Amino acid sequence: MTEPLNSQELQDRFSLIENMIAEGRRTTESWGWTFVFWGVAYLVAIAWSSWGPKAFLAWPVTMIAATLLMCARIAAQRRRKPEKQPDTTLGRAIFSVWVTTGMAMFLLLIFLSMSGRFDWHVFIAVVCALLGLANAASSLILKWNTQFGCAVFWWGAMAAACFGSDRIAIAALLVTIFVCQIVFGVYCMVLEAREREATHA
Amino acid sequence: MIHGKLRLALLSLLVGVEEAEFTWLRAKTGSTDGNLGAQLLKLEEAGYVTVEKKFVNKKPQTTYRITEAGRQSLAEYVRAIKQLLGSAMDA
Repeated sequence: MTEPLNSQELQDRFSLIENMIAEGRRTTESWGWTFVFWGVAYLVAIAWSSWGPKAFLAWPVTMIAATLLMCARIAAQRRRKPEKQPDTTLGRAIFSVWVTTGMAMFLLLIFLSMSGRFDWHVFIAVVCALLGLANAASSLILKWNTQFGCAVFWWGAMAAACFGSDRIAIAALLVTIFVCQIVFGVYCMVLEAREREATHA
Repeated sequence: MIHGKLRLALLSLLVGVEEAEFTWLRAKTGSTDGNLGAQLLKLEEAGYVTVEKKFVNKKPQTTYRITEAGRQSLAEYVRAIKQLLGSAMDA
């Protein structure tokens, strides 16, 4: 330190450091919509595979289309921003959890469809286990109990798929998609909107 | 070296991210290009940040990353401020 500072100036310096660190870590990107988006994609795939034509195409086609649409939306979202939000270790950790889960689910779906060993109970149980894992890992990284609640919900659906009848397995999956994707996604979007308002205020 | 407000703000911003573009640092600090460039150059000369210049989609892009020395210096500065604040409260 080159010059003596009074208590107020010291406090100002300290606040400046805290604010700038928080600013660096604050993400301006919104992710709540992705939960709602994927929830709708799962429901479309379930509806198509249950009642639509060429049911074997339902999951691969819906998942590929949803992935492409999401990538296009994220690219458009980033193009609108004048400056690129820098990566943080936290952000990369969350991103890696969800991307690897998505890849694992996609490969599982493709291989189960191709091998003809597709069984609804096993399929629902594995998908619920993977989504529970991703939510749990993400919640532990973010220290976010609400998301851990979603993970428990997914694992509950996994148990229902393992031990329940066909009807219970499907019902558990539908309820979990609604709660953990649609409701949780809307909740995230509300939180993000509040944070944006607080930032602009 | 990091006592200057803008240099302190820059190191604090960089400590929370992996690397940051010049334009992002400018937006966050509200500084002018000239002043920001000069302060970043001082930090670079002190070995507190590294700079990488490249072309992305035919546009020049300059990114900055905090070094270990920069992290240590900021940590020491924070410790010193805390100590001074502690003694100011005691007095």
